[in-house]
Amino acid sequence: MRELWLVAKHEYLRMVRRRAFLLGTLAMPLLIIVITAISVTIAIGKRDDRPLGYVDQAGVLSAAVQPASSGERVVELRAFADTQAAEGALQAGQIQGYYVLPADYMQSGQVHLYYWENAPTDAVQQQFDHFIRANLAAGLPPDVQQRAIEGSSVTIRSADGKREINNQNWIALVLPFVASFFFVMAVMTSGGYLLQAVTTEKENRTMEVMITSLTPEQLVSGKAAGLMAVSLTQIGIWTLAVVIGLIVGAQYFAPLRQAEVPWGMLGIAVLYFLPSYVLVAGIMVAIGSAVTEIQQGQQIAGLINLLFFVPFFFLALVIANPDSPVLVALSLFPTTAFMTITMRWSLAVVPLWQMAVSWILLVASAAGSLWVSARVLRAGMLRYGQRLNLRGVWRAVRPLTR
Amino acid sequence: MATVSISHVSKRFGDVQAVADVSFSLEPGEIFGLLGPNGAGKTTTIRMMLDIFRPDSGEIRLFGGSLNEDTKKRIGYLPEERGLYKDLKLEPTLVYFATLKGLSEADARARLEGWLQRFDLYAHRNKKVQELSRGMQQKAQLIATLLHEPDLIVIDEPFAGLDPVNTRLVKEIIEEQRQAGKTILMSTHQMQQVEALCTRIALINRGRTVLYGPVEQIKRDFAGNAVIVEGQGEVGDGDGLFQARHENGEWRLTLEPGVSPQMVLRALAERDGLQIERFEIAEASLDDVFVTVVRGDREADDA
Repeated sequence: MRELWLVAKHEYLRMVRRRAFLLGTLAMPLLIIVITAISVTIAIGKRDDRPLGYVDQAGVLSAAVQPASSGERVVELRAFADTQAAEGALQAGQIQGYYVLPADYMQSGQVHLYYWENAPTDAVQQQFDHFIRANLAAGLPPDVQQRAIEGSSVTIRSADGKREINNQNWIALVLPFVASFFFVMAVMTSGGYLLQAVTTEKENRTMEVMITSLTPEQLVSGKAAGLMAVSLTQIGIWTLAVVIGLIVGAQYFAPLRQAEVPWGMLGIAVLYFLPSYVLVAGIMVAIGSAVTEIQQGQQIAGLINLLFFVPFFFLALVIANPDSPVLVALSLFPTTAFMTITMRWSLAVVPLWQMAVSWILLVASAAGSLWVSARVLRAGMLRYGQRLNLRGVWRAVRPLTR
Repeated sequence: MATVSISHVSKRFGDVQAVADVSFSLEPGEIFGLLGPNGAGKTTTIRMMLDIFRPDSGEIRLFGGSLNEDTKKRIGYLPEERGLYKDLKLEPTLVYFATLKGLSEADARARLEGWLQRFDLYAHRNKKVQELSRGMQQKAQLIATLLHEPDLIVIDEPFAGLDPVNTRLVKEIIEEQRQAGKTILMSTHQMQQVEALCTRIALINRGRTVLYGPVEQIKRDFAGNAVIVEGQGEVGDGDGLFQARHENGEWRLTLEPGVSPQMVLRALAERDGLQIERFEIAEASLDDVFVTVVRGDREADDA
């Protein structure tokens, strides 16, 4: 165990001190900061405090009626007797725009919005929408009135009541896709590092010295653990950047304030990420041990990465039919389990048996990949200039040959 | 109890029989030479001994048992081709290797300073390994081999890339280790170093042990295979009896297998224009032994 820890610590420190790692890790938060700054600047720059006008030809609006608790009031709503007056005010720059409710509004439901160059913001338009709703529901009891203004919030619960999905919690919808993105980034970066580390050690014979100090299993597990810690550091920094981005962004964008942290989803992501990472690490070590040059390894690793990307190609299916048999199969297959389960999580209630089976299969294949990679490493590490073919790999993993 | 006992090991890689039948043992406190031409199977034998490869057949015992995690810590290995992280600084690299061999980081650092000073590498301890010269890298690798004070030291071509000053230093250190009771297995092509340091040798050729025993005994056994001739005129062609080379004003004749000194003396006496002033049986150098055995093997195979 001590050796495993030493290898892990060595690999971790070696990797995080690399300039490429620092650049790769900090580039993402910087990007988020830049995007947030640009968005905030645009939001502040666009802010228009001038009143919003309206012409009520249908006779349904009363300035006295205001939504009971429809959130903050953004701008003043000013009534005009006719379109000429509203047009005059718009041209004079007294109002940022005006709505017209035509006489047949109650039948058609149509409203018209007039403005010069810049449309009123979403928040301003939403304020007017709430104003109309409040007027239409004016005769109803206050609680019904409020429901009519805010609309419905659908929550889907599993039969046992343990899992639920709420269409208001948009973070839960976005997170799986973000998590998948981070996962793929982490797999590609870290898997690449691992492949490079193994191939380089094989090329410069460091492996020969290492293996006279510890077992191939300790070496492989230590490397996997060290690079997993690198990935988690990277993901931690990125997550922190996203959280800070959300907190800062929430000051300026109302929808971000509704965001809730989906802890269940995060738990699932962590539960699946760790064995998925070990699986990738094992595969990369095996490839690095079997090939003679880093370029060969990268080509094979590229194909292997595709196995992890597969769920992306079924994105449309995930949205349309999250419980389709194809997605169930992808949920159970170890390389695609993490991404498929997290994406389905937000759109459907994934049955417990599927999650249990897929997780057990994933953990078993992760352990198997470490076991196989240690054997391939032993068989292939000293074959300088000679590639280990598939038959050689098979011979290496058959325990009876030991 | 032998420190290392290798008994009839063999190893095949695909169609290549790298090691066919190798046996030898190392006694505690001796410097043992493992010799052989390129591709003979020396390095494969060493790698099997260190559990880098597993033999197809035969038995290997270290410290009286099979190799395990504890016995690995008692071994220091200097591979033929250097194996240090090129992109890392020297000091942390050596500390890392020592900790993998069971030393604490503090102990490793404390011991390292003395070794770096002795090998004249202290000023370079913060340089990356790839910035060091080949000789410096060789010395650094030797420090990695010795820092954890192993009981068994396996050194493959320890003098490669060293200048005469450093060669002498490394010889001194190897001798020091022997005096401290360590067992040393040295594989090298530098026969004069083997003669100077080793008490016993094994010569491997084409994957088999073809010569094995104390150096002095082997030299005595092969003594009849070389003669020294001094005189006037040219010794010239050996007529299939010997290979001649002129050095330091005398002729050294290495006899072909099955040829006796008497046969050579008779042949030389019959030559016109050669006046023999001195004819003596030379003590065979290990170099001669090596060449004689390897060439004899090859010719026996060709016949």
